[in-house]
Amino acid sequence: MSATAFRQVTQDRSLYVPAGLFLVLLCAVAFRGQGLFTNNGLAGAILVATPLILTALAITPIVMAGRGAVDLSVGPLMGFVNVTLITWLVGNGITHPVAIIAWAVGLGAAFQLVQALVIIYVRVAPIIVTLSGFLVLSGVNLMVMSRPGGVAPDWMLSWGAGTSVFSPVLLLLLGAFAIWGVLRGTMFYRNLRMTGADERMAYTSGVQVDVVRIIAHMVGGVFAGLAALSYTALISSGDPTQGSTYTLQAVTALVLGGASLSGGRGGALGSTLGAINMFLISYLLSTFNFGTVSGFVTQMAFGLILVGSLLVNVFVISRRTVA
Amino acid sequence: MGSEITVRMIDVAKAFGETRALKKCDFEARAGEVHAIVGENGSGKSTMAKIMSGVLHPDAGKVTILGEKVASPVDAKRVGLTTIFQEVLVADEASVFENLYVGRDGVFRSQSTGDRRTEAAEILARLVGKSVDLDQLAGSLPLSIKQWIVIARAILRKPQVLILDESSAALDLDSTLRLHAEIDRLRAEGATILIVTHRIAELVRIADRATILRDGITVGTLGKDEITEENLLSMMTPADRRASDATEYASRKKALEAPLILTATGLAAHRSARLFDFDLPKGSIVGVAGLDGQGQDAFIRALAGIIQPFGGEVKVRSVDTDKMVPLRSLDDAANLGVSYVSGDRKREGIFPQQSIFENLAIGVYRKKLGPLGVIRKPTLKPMFKREVDRLRIKIGSPSNRITSLSGGNQQKVLIGRAFANDPQVILLNDPARGVDLGTKRDLYRELRLFAEKGGSVIYLSSEIEEFIGFADRVDVFFGGTLFRSLTGEEIAEAPILAAMFGKARDASVDFDLERTA
Amino acid sequence: MISTVLNTEIGAAGGSSALRKHKSISIGFCLLAGLLILGALLVPGFVSPQNARSILLLAAFLGLASVGQTLCALVGALDLSIPYIIGGANILLPSLMVAGLPAPVAMIVVLVLGTLVGACNGALSFRLQGQALIMSLGLGFAAVGAVQIYTSLGSQFGGTVFAPVPGWLRNLSAFNGKFFGLPFPPVIVIWAVIAVALGWIMHNTWFGRSLYAVGGSRTAAARLGISEFKVWTVIHSVSGAMSALTGMLLLGFSGGGFVGVGDPYLFTTVAAVVIGGTSLLGGAGGYGATVLGVLVLTVLTSLLVGLGLSFPAQQAVVGLLIVPMVAIYARSPHIRNQI
Repeated sequence: MSATAFRQVTQDRSLYVPAGLFLVLLCAVAFRGQGLFTNNGLAGAILVATPLILTALAITPIVMAGRGAVDLSVGPLMGFVNVTLITWLVGNGITHPVAIIAWAVGLGAAFQLVQALVIIYVRVAPIIVTLSGFLVLSGVNLMVMSRPGGVAPDWMLSWGAGTSVFSPVLLLLLGAFAIWGVLRGTMFYRNLRMTGADERMAYTSGVQVDVVRIIAHMVGGVFAGLAALSYTALISSGDPTQGSTYTLQAVTALVLGGASLSGGRGGALGSTLGAINMFLISYLLSTFNFGTVSGFVTQMAFGLILVGSLLVNVFVISRRTVA
Repeated sequence: MGSEITVRMIDVAKAFGETRALKKCDFEARAGEVHAIVGENGSGKSTMAKIMSGVLHPDAGKVTILGEKVASPVDAKRVGLTTIFQEVLVADEASVFENLYVGRDGVFRSQSTGDRRTEAAEILARLVGKSVDLDQLAGSLPLSIKQWIVIARAILRKPQVLILDESSAALDLDSTLRLHAEIDRLRAEGATILIVTHRIAELVRIADRATILRDGITVGTLGKDEITEENLLSMMTPADRRASDATEYASRKKALEAPLILTATGLAAHRSARLFDFDLPKGSIVGVAGLDGQGQDAFIRALAGIIQPFGGEVKVRSVDTDKMVPLRSLDDAANLGVSYVSGDRKREGIFPQQSIFENLAIGVYRKKLGPLGVIRKPTLKPMFKREVDRLRIKIGSPSNRITSLSGGNQQKVLIGRAFANDPQVILLNDPARGVDLGTKRDLYRELRLFAEKGGSVIYLSSEIEEFIGFADRVDVFFGGTLFRSLTGEEIAEAPILAAMFGKARDASVDFDLERTA
Repeated sequence: MISTVLNTEIGAAGGSSALRKHKSISIGFCLLAGLLILGALLVPGFVSPQNARSILLLAAFLGLASVGQTLCALVGALDLSIPYIIGGANILLPSLMVAGLPAPVAMIVVLVLGTLVGACNGALSFRLQGQALIMSLGLGFAAVGAVQIYTSLGSQFGGTVFAPVPGWLRNLSAFNGKFFGLPFPPVIVIWAVIAVALGWIMHNTWFGRSLYAVGGSRTAAARLGISEFKVWTVIHSVSGAMSALTGMLLLGFSGGGFVGVGDPYLFTTVAAVVIGGTSLLGGAGGYGATVLGVLVLTVLTSLLVGLGLSFPAQQAVVGLLIVPMVAIYARSPHIRNQI
């Protein structure tokens, strides 16, 4: 896997910036102290970063499918799975792991299926459909659960301890990578890239673009379900209020990872790198002591890094088209 | 072998809103033949090709391909029909290899790359004439190679029916011959090849039969021996137009002796091209011709101030000072009275969501600005009416969207936009693309009138016939430079064609397959 | 009474030609009328001066915040920095006043800063196009972070700033504010004036026309010598300025600075633009349409509140409304017709 990943990085220039930023951040974090590189540090990092990585992965296939399909609904969707899981399932005594996982994954996929069908058959721009999904789910989440609360199933409580690197949360992450890996090996991945890069070409060449789009959305939905599971493990409860934050962070991670919001360019590796970079940025900033203003410094630095990274990306990509 | 019917269209019709692209189309093609579908721009050829490919669904009539109904490109793939569309559809972000095999497999079949790579490398080497790196991003390749990728993609599918929709437009002579060799090979294997084109010279040689379309109606099919330029032309264009064209010529020869209004010196379309000079006498109509990508497009854009030429200078006689003033930008062009009309109206002409009035008037707003950029609107209405009357634009209400008009009338609005500024020079970049005959006639008449009143016209066209009886001089581009200027008797199909292919003045151009070296 | 106020306002802003041109406008009107009738029938006290006043007041804030979003949508951009600039302005103004700046000077400073952030946003995001919304998000974060650092340095303020708000600013936008003795807050008049002026500017100036031109077809606009970069930067600057203005006026409404005050405007401005009938893809629509969208949204919210629906339920209903509204006026062509 690492060999192919390496080849991908060297071939795809859109990964230069995220990979470079990753190395810089890693050095900076190491320079600031060894806290992250202990068993506990890594376990905690995985626990905190996984929901973000998974939400970023969840929008990756959807963005890759083109038409400017930034999935704004991903954060609230994750929240929706989270609160329904706590309120409807656990609240009614259903705690069996199989039921919980099936619910999370199935609900994510089902919701994305609906969005895909609306995009394809009602022919409304994807960003508007997902904006609508964002608003609806944000509202519904608060209706299902008016404030953060509830408890995760017993078996999940240990997940959020963050004491071992090889926790079930890591398994969720690896599971998502495995799904992606399998898809990458099939024609679906290539069809997805081609659909995103030039849908008219793909269509006239006999690619079933509608099927590809539907599958892309459903895969994204499955990832959103996995994200919800890891998020539930992280907070050990339900929280209906974080949807907007996660949407913005996931889209940001995607762009930091070098994906193009207009489709065709991007991939799981980039999105993962982008999400990890975001985690590292906030981790790094948290090692400094800015006193009372630290939260604001984090926010500002975060914004500036985002701006800088976008500008560098433009430079790298425009150089490529000239070459 | 070879007589079974593979493609059949009966009574097919198709309309887009107001425009009836196909009215009554009957067509048959057999296995093992090259069948040309010929017609002028806007006669419905491309619509016919799209219906056969399953991209468009006919409003009426019946289409069968190899005995089956084709309702989508996926169906087409299944029956063994492949289409090379007019537009070069290549994904820039993907590798050459991916571009070649796009859509070949189902959604989930696993990728197999082994044999395909050698096969792909082989066929590209044969078509392009040199080896192409399969892992290269397609976006970094020149248009001509992209065109070959599209052709190779189709050939790799070993189609039973292959449709080429103006696919040789971007190819030079050598490449055209290589393509013809490829077509011959497919024909020998028993495939049906349909060539959709308006380039007559090309098919005289290669087609076994030709079906002619005029205004959305299939007017007839010619057998191998009947395919001659005269037959084709007479079936493509109604008799009245051909008669009226020839008479206009003599009166215009003097126009070329008038003082110059625009000069260009030391121009080149790209770095390696030979430098050339160009001049435009006041009151003349100069045609610009050339195969796609020979530099004529860049040339006319440089004259309009849209792009910078590689070196050289464009000068226009200023109305105020009567001195030659350099033209370097769009602003210079506007100040010097040089207007540009693009034939690619969808992309660089119309504002689709705006009204007809707005689309015409937006060209003159800048000349009608009061303080703070406020537009003085009252003056615009008479201007609008004048242009609409002059060009005989058929509009409903001026506040209707421009897209409610037919392609020809949209183009007239854009020409009206150019006229509205009272220009000295009008540059037209293939304005008759996809425009019906009536519009073309109105356009020629207005441009002649404009020229007679002292205006000057540079008219780029991809159709040679447009120049005959219309242009005072035809400048032909080849290899990124002005290759030859033709005047008088030389403004005829054969000399222009010879020049377009970079041939000596007296050489005749034929597409002899034996000469594929 | 309400409907006459609304009608004159929209009539002035949108212009009658817009009515004929856009299906969405007439549908918006029907929707608005329907909502008003429903409200009158179902909610006691819905048709009352108080309710009209509160609807218009809330609509004015949303309307002002949506100016920039509308202009951006007209060229196919989205400005996600709006809520952050609103929040930043909302706390920067009082802390500048605490620092001793006279209120008018402080307001000008805030307005200029907002404009500058907008201009940066436009200039930097121009080359990014599709990615532009992330750039605006990043700059929004940076700006609001910087403001918060400023407000908290040497003071105990963080996300909230307490300072005495001058009476006249309070009167401008408080619920019981008076406009020359008339019983409605002047911010409504400010909004109306801006709406009418903007509507006129969009149709009668070179700037307005070039904005539509760039949104409709970049290449065609470039052929006419319109600088897309200039248009792009100017509209983002306007968006920054209007967001700063909204933030300051919201201070008068709430009486205390709170950085989160802008958060609801992140997506409601987009919703107002979309429901009004301005396509997010650029070229069609206008501020008149957005005024309608803002009113529909606000009246709908008021109706739902009157029916006893909670805020979350209102949000869900608004979300459900968007897709059908857009489906009516802005369906994309089938891919068959794009070959």
